[in-house]
Amino acid sequence: DIKMFWMEGELKLEMEGEEVIDLIKALFAESDHRKKAIAAIRGTSLHLLVNNLLHTESSPIPFEFLVNGQFLRSSIDDFLTKYGISAETTLNVEYTRALIPPLHVSSFEHDDWVSAVDILSQSSSAGKWAKGVQSGQERILSASYDGLLRVWNMSGDALATSAPPNNGGRITSLKAAKWISDKKIVAAGMDNVVRVYKYDEDERTITPSLELYAHRWPVNDLAVHGPSNRILSAASDGTVALFSATAKDNPAAPSNLLPTSTAASNKRQKLSKPEKVVPSRGPLGTLSGHASPVSSVLFKPEDATVAYSASHDHTLKTWDLTTSSCVDTRTTGHSLLSLTALPQLNLLATGTSARHITLIDPRASATQIAVMTLRGHTNAVVSLDTHPTSEYGLVSGSHDGTARIWDVRSIKASSGLGEGQVGEDIYTIQRDSGPGRSSGEGVKVFGVRWDQEVGIVSVGEDKRVQINRGVGS
Amino acid sequence: NIDPESLLPKLPSPDELRPFPTTCAVIFRGQEGRVRSVSVDPHGIFMASGGDDGYARIWEITTGRQLWNVKLSDEDAVDTVKWRPGKDASILAAAAGETVFLIVPFTILSPDIEQISRDLLDAGWGYAASKPSTTTNIAITKEPPAKWSRPGVRLESKGVLVQATVRSTIKVINWHRKGDYFATVSPRGQSSAVAIHTLSKHLTQLPFRRLKGLAQSAQFHPSKSIFFVATRNSIRSYDLAKQELVKILQPGAKWISSIDVHAGGDNIIVGTYDKRLLWHDLDLSTKPYRTLRYHQEAIRAVRYHPGGLPLFADASDDGSIQIFHGKVVGDLMENATIVPLKVLKGHKVKSRLGVMDVDWHPREPWCVSAGADGTSRLWN
Ligand SMILES: [Mg+2]
Repeated sequence: DIKMFWMEGELKLEMEGEEVIDLIKALFAESDHRKKAIAAIRGTSLHLLVNNLLHTESSPIPFEFLVNGQFLRSSIDDFLTKYGISAETTLNVEYTRALIPPLHVSSFEHDDWVSAVDILSQSSSAGKWAKGVQSGQERILSASYDGLLRVWNMSGDALATSAPPNNGGRITSLKAAKWISDKKIVAAGMDNVVRVYKYDEDERTITPSLELYAHRWPVNDLAVHGPSNRILSAASDGTVALFSATAKDNPAAPSNLLPTSTAASNKRQKLSKPEKVVPSRGPLGTLSGHASPVSSVLFKPEDATVAYSASHDHTLKTWDLTTSSCVDTRTTGHSLLSLTALPQLNLLATGTSARHITLIDPRASATQIAVMTLRGHTNAVVSLDTHPTSEYGLVSGSHDGTARIWDVRSIKASSGLGEGQVGEDIYTIQRDSGPGRSSGEGVKVFGVRWDQEVGIVSVGEDKRVQINRGVGS
Repeated sequence: NIDPESLLPKLPSPDELRPFPTTCAVIFRGQEGRVRSVSVDPHGIFMASGGDDGYARIWEITTGRQLWNVKLSDEDAVDTVKWRPGKDASILAAAAGETVFLIVPFTILSPDIEQISRDLLDAGWGYAASKPSTTTNIAITKEPPAKWSRPGVRLESKGVLVQATVRSTIKVINWHRKGDYFATVSPRGQSSAVAIHTLSKHLTQLPFRRLKGLAQSAQFHPSKSIFFVATRNSIRSYDLAKQELVKILQPGAKWISSIDVHAGGDNIIVGTYDKRLLWHDLDLSTKPYRTLRYHQEAIRAVRYHPGGLPLFADASDDGSIQIFHGKVVGDLMENATIVPLKVLKGHKVKSRLGVMDVDWHPREPWCVSAGADGTSRLWN
C-alpha cells in the first residue's frame, strides 16, 4: 500500500491515513515500544529503503517527518489534536533529511571585533562567478573594526591582510565585505567609502584599487553581482548607492565627499603621505527614499536589475535599478537590521531590533505584512543567510551571542496577531569563546554566512571567525 | 458599596501601548567611575557620554563600540554632554567644571559635515572684537559672563575647537531647537547661574540679574520665545522677547532635580530628589496635574521622547529607569493620559547613586541611561 515517488528532487511517501498514524505513533511513542518500532522499520523497509535509493548504505542519513508540511516534533496524538486533524483525513507525510547538529570545527582569532565575513568556495556566488574554486581551496574573508581585511585558508592561516586605507584621519572600522571574484573584494565601513581591492593569492596582498564615494554616513552593508560587475552599498545616510566594480564605468566622485575637499581634511590627508593614489569615482545611481539608516541590501537572486533594502525606518523596499526608483514599500513595526532571500518560496527574511525575524512576501500581490515570524533570539538579529541547498533553511546571527538555524516548516502555535505563523529555531550555535554575559554581552555576533562546502561561519565581538559544520554532512 | 476605582475611566493596559523599551540591548563599557550624562545624536547613530573620569566619549549606539574619546579635564567630571540639534552638522557640547567645550568629532564625520560644523564654530571668532558691546550701558569694568577661547593644540587635534568658561561649575546644557543658542546652568553661580550662549557670536548673556532660589535646570520652549528656569522649589517661564515673567509653577517639591518640556510646549515633567515625578499641564493650574511616586530613591533625570512617541522616562538612584506612556492630546478639553509601562533594571547602585541620566533615541522607542556603576545602557 505504500506508494513512493520522486517529486522535484524530494523523496515523498504516500500512505493511507491510518497507516501513517500507526507508523508515526509507533515511531514517536515512548520507550521500548519506540525502539522496537524503529528497529522493525529499519529492518524491513522505510529508512533503509530511503537510504538505498540515495546509495548511502554505509552511512545512513537521518530523516525527519513532515506531516502536512510541518515538522512532527510532538507525539502524533498531540500533533493531530493541535491541528484538529481527524484520523479519517488523508495526511501528506514527507521524509526529509534531518539537519545534523552543527558542531564547532575551528575558530580564527583577530586583534579586534570582526564585523563581517564572506566565503569563496565552489558553490558560493563568487566561486561560481570565478568559475571554479577547487575543493580544499576555500577562502574566508573577514572584515574587522581595526579597519583591515583578512583572507584565511581553511587551516586558519591568514594568507593576506589588507593595507590600511588612507582617508584623511577618519575612523577606518569596516562593517561589510564581499568577494566579487577570486581576485576582487569590496569592503566598506565607518569612513563612508566603498573600496574595491585586488586580492593576489601568490603575492599574499589585498590592495585597494578603487574608492567609491556616495555616502555621508557609515556604510552598513554591501551586495555584489558578479556577472554584471555591480555593487550596492547601504548606508546610515538613508541611501543605497549603485556602482560598477570597474573604475571607468563610474562617473566622477562627488567632490564634496573626497578627503581632499576641505582644508582641514586635506591637511591630514597630506600628512599621511599616501604611497599610491587610488582612483576615486561616484555612483551610477542613488536609491533615495528611506528615512533612516539602511542596514542591508540585496540583489534579487534571479534578477539583478531589482534590489531589496531593509532600513531602521521599519520598511523593506523593492527597487528598480534601471530607473533607480522605488517600486514597493512594506512597512513593519520595527527597525530592520538584516536581510536574506528565500527565492523558491518568494519570501524575504528580515531581522529586527525586536529580536525576531519576519518573513515577507515582497510581490505586489501579497497582502499580508508578515507571512511568518521566527522567534527565539534574545537580542537584535543583525545578520542573515540562506541555507546553501534547502529552500526552507536560513541562519541568523544576533547580538545575543548566538547563530540560530531555522527551517520555515518548523512551526509552533502562534500567539500574537498579524505576525503570521510563528517558527522556532532548530539549532542554536553558541560562541566557542564562551557564552558571554547576559544577552550576548561581549560575544555579539555581527555576521554569519552559510556555505555548502565550508559550513556556517559566524563572526563577532569575541574577535573570532567561528566555523560550525554538521559532521558527515 | 461602590469601589471608587470602578468609577474612574479605564486606563489602557501596557500591552496595548507598545512599542516601549523593555530589555537591555547594549551595555557600553570602558568608562572609569560614574557616567553622569548621555545624549543620542540627531541621526540616532551615535551616543555621547560624560562622566567622573573627565572624558567625553562617543559610541556606536547599536553595538556599544567606543569610537572616539577625549579627556577634557584632569580635576573635574564631565557633568553633561548634549548634541546640537540638526542633521546638517555634528557638534557635541560637553561641560567639565566651569567650561563648555564645543566639539566636532571629525574622525567619525564625512569631510563636508566636518567643514559645515567647523564653520558654525568658527563664525563667532572676532565677533566681540569687531562689535564691541552694543549695550553700552553695561559697565566695561565688569568681568564678562564667559570667556570664549581656543582650547589648545592637544584638544583641538581631537576636534575640541571652542571653549566657553563661565564663573561656576556647569551642571546642565540645553540647546535651542535651531542650534544657535544654548543655555547652561551652574547651580552655585548665583546671579550668573543661568547663562544663554550664542554660538554664532561666541557671546554669553546672563538673562537674570536676580534669581529667586537656586537654579537647577533651564530649557527653551520648543517653538516659542519662552524660557523655563527651574529652581529648587518652583519653575518659572519667561518671555525672552518681552523680557517678562509669564508663569510660576509650584510643583510642591522640596528639591527639583530636572525638568523636561513636552514638544507641544504645554506640558512639563519634573523630577525631584524627594522621589516624586510631577506632570504639569500649563493649561490647568500652577499645581501638578499628576504626581507619580514609583521610586524608592531620588529621581535625577526626566525626559520626554523627542520624536513624537507618547513616552517619557525617569532615572533614579534606586538603580531603575521607569518608562511611562504619556499621551498629550491637542484638545483643551482632554487631559494627558499617563500610564506606567515598565521598570528597567540592570544598573547597580554604587555609593547610593543609581541612574544619573536618561535620553531617548530621536525616532525609536529606545532609551539610553547613564549609571553610577560606570556603564551606559541602551534599552529597546
Ligand atoms: Mg491640555
